[in-house]
Parts: sequence; C-alpha cells; structure tokens
Amino acid sequence: MQTTNIIQIENLVKRYQNLVALDHLNLTIHEGEIFGLLGPNGSGKTTAINCLLALLKYDKGTITIFGKNMHPNSYDIKKQIGVVMQNVAVFEQMSVWENIDYFCGLYVKDKTRRKQLVEEAVRFTGLEDFTKMRPKKLSGGLLRRLNIACGIVHKPRLIIMDEPTVAVDPQSRNKILEGIVELNRQGSTIIYTSHYMEEVEQICTRIAIIDHGRVLATGTTEELKQMIKTGETITIEALALEETALAEIRELPHVFDVSYEDQILKVKLGTARHNLVRILNYLQEKDISFGRVFSELPTLNDVFLEITGKELRD
Amino acid sequence: MTVFRGFLIITKRNIHIIWLYLLLFLGIAIMVQKAAGGNTSEFEQVSLNIAVIDRDGGKLAKGLADYLSQYHTLVELPDEPSIIQDRMFYREVYYVAAIPEDFEERCLYGDETLPVTKVPGSNSGFYVDQQIRIFMNEVRIMVSSGFSLSEAVEEVIEHSADEAEVTLIDKNGFGGKQPMHAFMYQYMPYILISILCYSMSYIMIAFRNEDVKRRMMCSAIPARSQNLQLALGVAVVGIAVYGLCTLMPFLMYGKTFMKDPNMPYYLVNSFMMTLVSLSLSFLIGTLVRREEIISAIVNVVSLGMSFLCGVFVELEVLGKGVRTFAQFLPAYWYEVANGLLSNNSSLSPAQQTSLYTCYGLQILFAAAILGVAMVISRIRQTA
Repeated sequence: MQTTNIIQIENLVKRYQNLVALDHLNLTIHEGEIFGLLGPNGSGKTTAINCLLALLKYDKGTITIFGKNMHPNSYDIKKQIGVVMQNVAVFEQMSVWENIDYFCGLYVKDKTRRKQLVEEAVRFTGLEDFTKMRPKKLSGGLLRRLNIACGIVHKPRLIIMDEPTVAVDPQSRNKILEGIVELNRQGSTIIYTSHYMEEVEQICTRIAIIDHGRVLATGTTEELKQMIKTGETITIEALALEETALAEIRELPHVFDVSYEDQILKVKLGTARHNLVRILNYLQEKDISFGRVFSELPTLNDVFLEITGKELRD
Repeated sequence: MTVFRGFLIITKRNIHIIWLYLLLFLGIAIMVQKAAGGNTSEFEQVSLNIAVIDRDGGKLAKGLADYLSQYHTLVELPDEPSIIQDRMFYREVYYVAAIPEDFEERCLYGDETLPVTKVPGSNSGFYVDQQIRIFMNEVRIMVSSGFSLSEAVEEVIEHSADEAEVTLIDKNGFGGKQPMHAFMYQYMPYILISILCYSMSYIMIAFRNEDVKRRMMCSAIPARSQNLQLALGVAVVGIAVYGLCTLMPFLMYGKTFMKDPNMPYYLVNSFMMTLVSLSLSFLIGTLVRREEIISAIVNVVSLGMSFLCGVFVELEVLGKGVRTFAQFLPAYWYEVANGLLSNNSSLSPAQQTSLYTCYGLQILFAAAILGVAMVISRIRQTA
C-alpha cells in the first residue's frame, strides 16, 4: 500500500546548555495514522512536539510537514495543524461557545463557515448543553472535552494531542478516546502522547518509544511485542518452592527469567508452544502443590520496560 | 480580527468594574461640589465657651479677659480644680486660663507662660493658645515701643476688631475660586488608573496564560498580527475610558467648562494621564500572574499615587518631603499641570513651558513604565 509521509523528522538535535534533550531524533509519520509517542518523563516527547510546532528552536536537523520545511512563519502548514495541549488552554472569561469560536477564528475567517464548524465541534465533543457556561463551571472531563474542541474545531489535517486524558474520569476518557478514533476515521492524522499505556495500545496504529531524546523502537503494537524476548508470562500460586526447584525451572526450554516472591512464581518465556503445559507438568512431577495459574501475553508495558529498562511513570 | 474580538469580549466581562469606578468618580465630584457649595470666599470665626480665672486683678489681666471676650463667650467658673475638670469633661468649657498673681512681672516681662487647662491635643486649645500669644506679643511690642501698659492694652483691644479686606484676584476667570471642573480633573487620575489598571491587567493575564499563548502561537495568525490586534484593543478601551471620563465634566459643568479657555489643555493633560495609566496597566499585567491579587495591587497603586501626588489633597497641603518624593511619580506632574490650568485663565510663556514640561514628563513616565514592562516580559519569555 502506498503511504504518504505527513511528517519527516531527521537527525533532530536540541540542547539545553549541557543537556541533550533530543539526540539525532528520527521519525516518520504517515498520513492517516494515529501515531503514539511513548516515553518516560524527560524523555524528550514534549521537546519534540514543541520543535515540531516551531515553538522551540533546535540546534540541528530538519522537520518536514506536508512535504514542506517547518518554520515559525510556516502559516500555511500551521493552518492545517490542530493542537490539544496537556494543560487546558482556554479563556476563563469566555463561555464554552465563545472559546471554541475564538480558537476557530484563528484559522477560519468566514463567519458562516465558522459557526458551522463550532456547531460541529460542540456536537462532536458532546458539549451541547454547556455552550453558555464558563470553563470554571465545567467538570474536569468536560473541560478536557472543551480543550479538545478548541484544538480540532477547524478540522485540521494533522492533530497533535499531548496527554489529553490526564486527570479525566474513566467515562470521559472513553468518550475522548472514541472521539480521537472518530477524528482519525474522518481523515485526520493524529500524534498522541500519553502516560496511559493501555490507551496507546487501544487506539494507536503505530507507536514510537522514545527515551533520552532518541527513538528506541517504532512499529505497530504487535511489531513492538515481537521485538522483545518475552513471549509469555506465567504466574502461579505455589507453596514452599525451594531454590533447587527454581533452578530446575530456569533450565526448562524457552524460560529466561524466574522469580518467586510471596508464594507467587513468575516465569517469563520466549514465544513457543506448550509453555504452560511444560511448567505445570514439572510442578506435578515434583509434587509441588499449586493454586491459581495465569498466562499473559506481553503488554506494551512489558515492551516499554524491556526496551527502556524502566516503568513509564518513573 | 479574532484576537481583537476576543479582547473586547473579555473587556465586556469586566464592564461592571468600569461602571463602578465611574459612579464612584461621579459620587466624589458631587460630594466635593456640595462640600464647596460656592462659599469659598467667606470666613466665619469659631466662638468657644472659655473661662478666665483672674488671680491678679491687674490691667493686663483684665485686658486679656476683654480681648478674649471679643472672640469667645466667657463663662464664670470658681477657682476649684475639681469643678474646672468636671466642666471641661462635659465640654461646658473648652479652655480655662488661670491668670496668676504678678501676671505682668511673670508673664509679660518674665519668661513664664500663662497656666491653662485645655483638652489635650484639641484644635480649640491651639486656637485660644494662639490668640493669647498674639495678645501678649502685641502688648509686649507696644510697651517696648514706649506706650504705657494701659495704653498698650487699649490699643491692642481696639485694633483687634479691625478686619482686613480680602479680595481674590481673578486670574482664572472664575473669581479666583477653583472651578468645579478643575476639582473633577483633580480626581481624574485615580479613576483612570483604577479603571484601566484593573480591566487591562485582567485581560493581559488572560492573554499571557502560557498555555493559551502556546496555542495561539501554533495558529495561522502571525504573532505580529496578534500583538497588533491586542494593541488595538488596548487603544480602543483606553480611548473609550478616556471618552467616558471626559464626558463627565461636560455633562456636569458643560457651560462653565466650555467657557474655560483652558479646556483643550485639560483634555490633553487627562489624555497624557490615560497613556500613563495604560502603561501602568501593562506593567501590572506583566508582573501579576494571579487574578485574585490584581484588585489589591491596583488599589495600592491608584490610592498610593493619589494620596502622594495631590489627587485627593491639594499639593500645597502636602509636606515638603512628600512633594519631593511625589516628583518621581507621574500623577504629580498631572496635578501640577492641573493646578496651573485651574489658577490661570491665560498662561504666560513661562507657565506654558511648565505646562508642556508636565505633559512631556508624563509621556516620558508612560514610555519608561512601558519599557520596564517590556523588558520584564522579555526576560520572563526567555527564562
């Protein structure tokens, strides 16, 4: 299938005095994707987004958006980008409608067209009943939806969302995620950063894991999972396991990590058939009594942990 | 013109503050008018109930009692400290002068002062003290000049009834009196600073919100155009507030104000103050990040500058130190110009130079404050 590159970042370097925030960062984002940008705090995600939006000067490298170089004065490019900031960026003194209309007005001059777009954004974010209210009267979830409405009202070709679901209740979060998928379905390419691994796994078509200002891995969720050693994690409630037993389990085929703590045995294995059967057979042979047994396929969290060596929330 | 439109929407949300201060302004003007009441050329002396206890019985003592009786009502009082204290406590008498024996020797030729009982720290006490001092000094001078004591006392009493005729020189075309519109212009800095600093700072904070600013920087409107639209918003609101403040003297004292040959100068002076207020509002908007403290800061700035620079109290009444300090504040130069205009219907070349200096200094203050605000803003941006 022919794919169009909507964003091309090449060898991007950004330094803050001695600190290298972006270290020859390379990224390619295709049109129509929901692209997840994952990384722990301080990994360079926000710096990369700020450089992408020309809010920050960088030391080296090139950024191409829609096939053109991105500069602070690239207003023809900016016209096609929508931004949903991590913090709610609206005017407290304006009503919900006035806020959406104001931010739409930064892109669309025609009054009739603007009215139509604002109505659509209000409907899309489910804010119909709150258009006359001021932001401080809105709940956290509604406020986030207003933030999104202000960023997407002009129907941009590319939407950059920086952790749009932080501090949002699960119900509102689901609504927001459904909205993002719908925006993508309507034709927008989306760059999405989040701390919530399950969100990224749920909606992103492709993901980049970034740390120390570098892209460590890129691919679909499945591709990323295949990049790591862990194919399966088996968890067993087992009473009184001795060190010799643990050593023997370690020697079983495809096992590469075994831990035993609080009577919970955790075995990590590479991708292979009958892993679970082999482990259970061993326990029965050795007459080791065991309780509940779980087998889990690797999650994005496992991928992240193995690639970066730390939890996302570190 | 989206940014400009947004600016006006936020201004509209603060319109109640503008009306509140304008009503306050109007209230002050009406109160001043009532207090002044057009009787500034008349003077009436205050007469108090006082007592003179004469233990001497001499000519000088009798003369002092007669002298004081011309201004006050003399009340009979026994020479009993407890009774004197009671009567003073109930304010039946305000002042008791106890003339000692050998009054002439001790107080006229000697260094002793007249023992008196008065309400401590009261105006009435100072008032009668001063009259006794004048009587004694005048008698002393006349005796030194060769008059006998009885002649001196008689002369002093006789001439104390003389009244000097005072005619106010009509230099300003209003009979020498301060015209009412000049009073109104005297208070105008407080209103201009309060309204503009409050409303502008509030709007500035909204537009300076980092997240809003970032979102606007990502938009399709160039930063230069955004700033120009904001500047236009500031100008429109500034002119509107200036217009409303200017309308007041026309509405209240239209005929006299229009007859005043200095009317255009008043308008220019208040316009300069509008510029100063706008730059101050820009500085406050730059420094303050939380809306909750705007009100407190604006009150400190507007009231502080008003009290120090002669907005509420005439400049002449302020102490020398205060006036020296006030020279470093723009409202002082506004008030100096206002004083020139209210006291003179036609300005001499020297007065014109002073007036233009006052205008120029206000512009310089406006430019300096704006410059400081811009430097701070720049530092914060790059920090």
